[in-house]
Amino acid sequence: MSAALRIAREEWRLWARSRVVLVAALIVAVLVAITSVLTAQRVADEANNRNARQASAEQTFFAQPDRHPHRMVHYGHYAFRSPPPLAAFDPGVDAVTGQSIFLEGHRQNTAMFADTRSGADLGGFAALTPANLYQLLLPLLLIIIGHGVLLRERESGTLAVLLAQGQSGLALAKGKALALAGVAGLFMLPVAALAIYAVSAGEAPLAAAMLFAGYALYLAVWAALVLAVSLWVRQRSVALGLLVFVWLLVALVVPRIGINMGSAAVDAPGKIESDLVMLAQQRSLGDGHNAADPAFDALQKQVLEQYGAQSIEELPVNWRGVVAGYSEAKLTAVMNDYAEDRMQMEAQQSRIVTWFGLASPTLAVGAASRTLAGTDLATHHRFLRESEALRFDFVQALNNLHASALSYADDAQRSSDPEAEARTRVNADAWRLLDSFRFAPDAASERAARAALPLAMMLAWLAMLGGAIVIGARRLTP
Amino acid sequence: MRDRGALLWIALAFLLSAAATGFGVAEVREQRATIAELRAEDAKDRANALAGQADWGGAAYAAFHLTYAPPSDLAFAALGQRDTAPWLHRVRMLALEGQIHEADTKNADFGLIGRFDFAFLAATIAPLLLILLLHDLRGAERVAGRHDLLVATAGRPSRIWLPRAAVRFAGLGLALLLPFWIGAVIEGASLSKVLLGSALVIGALCVWWLLVEVVGRYKASPPVLLAALVGLWIALALLLPATARAVIEASNPVPDGAEILMLHREAVNDAWDIPKEATMTPFLARHPEWRTLGEVKKPFEWKWFYAFQQVGDQRAEPLAKAYRDGRLARDHAAGMAAFLSPASLVERGFERLAGTDARAMIAYEEQVRAYHAKLRAFHYPLLFRDPPYDPAVFKRLPSYRPAP
Repeated sequence: MSAALRIAREEWRLWARSRVVLVAALIVAVLVAITSVLTAQRVADEANNRNARQASAEQTFFAQPDRHPHRMVHYGHYAFRSPPPLAAFDPGVDAVTGQSIFLEGHRQNTAMFADTRSGADLGGFAALTPANLYQLLLPLLLIIIGHGVLLRERESGTLAVLLAQGQSGLALAKGKALALAGVAGLFMLPVAALAIYAVSAGEAPLAAAMLFAGYALYLAVWAALVLAVSLWVRQRSVALGLLVFVWLLVALVVPRIGINMGSAAVDAPGKIESDLVMLAQQRSLGDGHNAADPAFDALQKQVLEQYGAQSIEELPVNWRGVVAGYSEAKLTAVMNDYAEDRMQMEAQQSRIVTWFGLASPTLAVGAASRTLAGTDLATHHRFLRESEALRFDFVQALNNLHASALSYADDAQRSSDPEAEARTRVNADAWRLLDSFRFAPDAASERAARAALPLAMMLAWLAMLGGAIVIGARRLTP
Repeated sequence: MRDRGALLWIALAFLLSAAATGFGVAEVREQRATIAELRAEDAKDRANALAGQADWGGAAYAAFHLTYAPPSDLAFAALGQRDTAPWLHRVRMLALEGQIHEADTKNADFGLIGRFDFAFLAATIAPLLLILLLHDLRGAERVAGRHDLLVATAGRPSRIWLPRAAVRFAGLGLALLLPFWIGAVIEGASLSKVLLGSALVIGALCVWWLLVEVVGRYKASPPVLLAALVGLWIALALLLPATARAVIEASNPVPDGAEILMLHREAVNDAWDIPKEATMTPFLARHPEWRTLGEVKKPFEWKWFYAFQQVGDQRAEPLAKAYRDGRLARDHAAGMAAFLSPASLVERGFERLAGTDARAMIAYEEQVRAYHAKLRAFHYPLLFRDPPYDPAVFKRLPSYRPAP
């Protein structure tokens, strides 16, 4: 091992003297540091902001005056998706999906006000985040630093001397690998810092450690690729051209082709599209605002029987409230079917994209990173499901109140009789029925399990490149 | 063209361009098919919804209207904001602020990673291919030891490098543009737009060529030249746009969308609990023509219901306007900043030509607002005068027409 260490040390000394390498490394280091601090700060602000908004949305709901419970159904509520601590490293889909959702009766709204909608459009690249820099920029830096790692020895003739001295090609490759690993290790420090920061902010150590491991694996794949090309190619300029070309494909082209393939293979309808199809079905369920809708005749018969009453006026409960609750439940079942379909199709598209990770470690590390950070599409879907559950709970609680606390006669008269209208207002204390909502991503073990596939893809890359390095090193000749 | 390496890059450019164009055409067709299907569904659904109604207010409440921005003839080359900004809405007579911000979100990963379209290829990938093609023209000869001899025999250095570079340049340009032109013919894109787009690609490539020339004059080995050029490419195509974007967004704040919605919700819902005049006064200030019929006597009347919907919009108007103006200001600043980066310039240029830029998407929102105003103008006389209910009147409902 000492020979390998010596070789590595020589390499480091050489890089330290080379101005191109030094300047490039310095620029990247400064960029990573600044971006990390800015992103961490921004995400922390966002988290505070959204938690505060969530609390204030609850307060304003509770603070509503006495009114008819159905007014509160339409008054609605907000759910906010607070970014998890690791979002400081990888904010993920947040900028695209929007962060808040308005919850009201009879409707499932979409998350609104995505940052990208109001963003300054300067081309295809996303915002500067630590994750983007690691995924795109660091491989290029490794290429620029390391493409000559063996070729330089060859071109300057020292390779023949080294081999003649009895150094095996394998030992040489080991030393060079160590040298590259040292550089990559240095650049893993900001990830480590952000991971520790996230843990201190309440993130599970498992998720933070796996995120660190994922990026270490990613940089190892690139370092191995650089070394393998340096071993197999005979000219420095060819090696550099080839590596830049591979980077172009792997980091820029394949991920986007994957997106296009995913979108072409699975036609996931947009929300408006599926809503329109749904609406026809929804209308056949009857309008919950209209208790006289013939769609509710069967329900009426059943409820009359249940209470042994002859007419809805005799019922001990408010028939309008019963209809509102019944139709909300039916409607929600239909809406959830469609929403679930839509989410399944999107997940299917994303699965297709993930499989392109076999052709692009950049795609694989991106998927693993978002998943582990809790900022991936699946987590967003979870947010949609949970906020929908919150919506249904408070709407149904209000509908129960509508059925139990108001008399049918007053309720039916309230549009034309001011006194009846006053009697249909429920005391504001009742608004406490709203549950408080704080979104948290999946447990770390679940996220880790989801990230296993892309991580395994990177391992496969590393194993394949490791094989290429060993074979190339064995047959290394001057 | 003996150089196999050069042929490889050019073939690759052609393949990528063909893929980008093919994907773009397929996506645009799908969007058109979606719109056509939705238009039919929408008409059916509205007829269905109106059939069960018994009064003007209920009918206005039940009927949804589809609005949309069809993809232009050049959208296949630059899908731009169509992945993240909505181009479909279904609006009804309720307050518009609660509807217009609805996002018809597609898979969020799409917006995050981005699509592979022609604009991206031309703006970002093509310069890198050009660098790979041209960086070692001189350097390779220098390494081979022929450089000085060649320069000496040719008399003027430009005589050797220019034709070689020009051939490669033309090869790359043609490989990129040929699929784009075919796509344009298939899509029936207008000639002027195609020419402008082609000029944009060629012009930006010329800028990159110039940069390669300038850097290539340094007497360094090809790897060092390539590293320097790749560094330049990163700075111009990646870092500069991302930094400019961050600076622009920090210096041009837009109101938080949640604020618009919350203000709007309070305004609309408060109306149920405040005296009717508090709603009707601001409404009648905007619509003096209904002053004589503006008195509300019962706890619930449809005209009052729709009046408070509109008053909700009126209350949110300053914020909504600030949101729109902020976005326009950001877009304007981005347009200025794009002059610093040829990559941004090409991408934005294509989006502008294709009508898929931020301005076009905001213009679509304005169309939706204008259409909604027409709906209100149609319904208000019915709600305020309250003539006997006659569903035949709805045959004259204003229909949405997308801007050409």
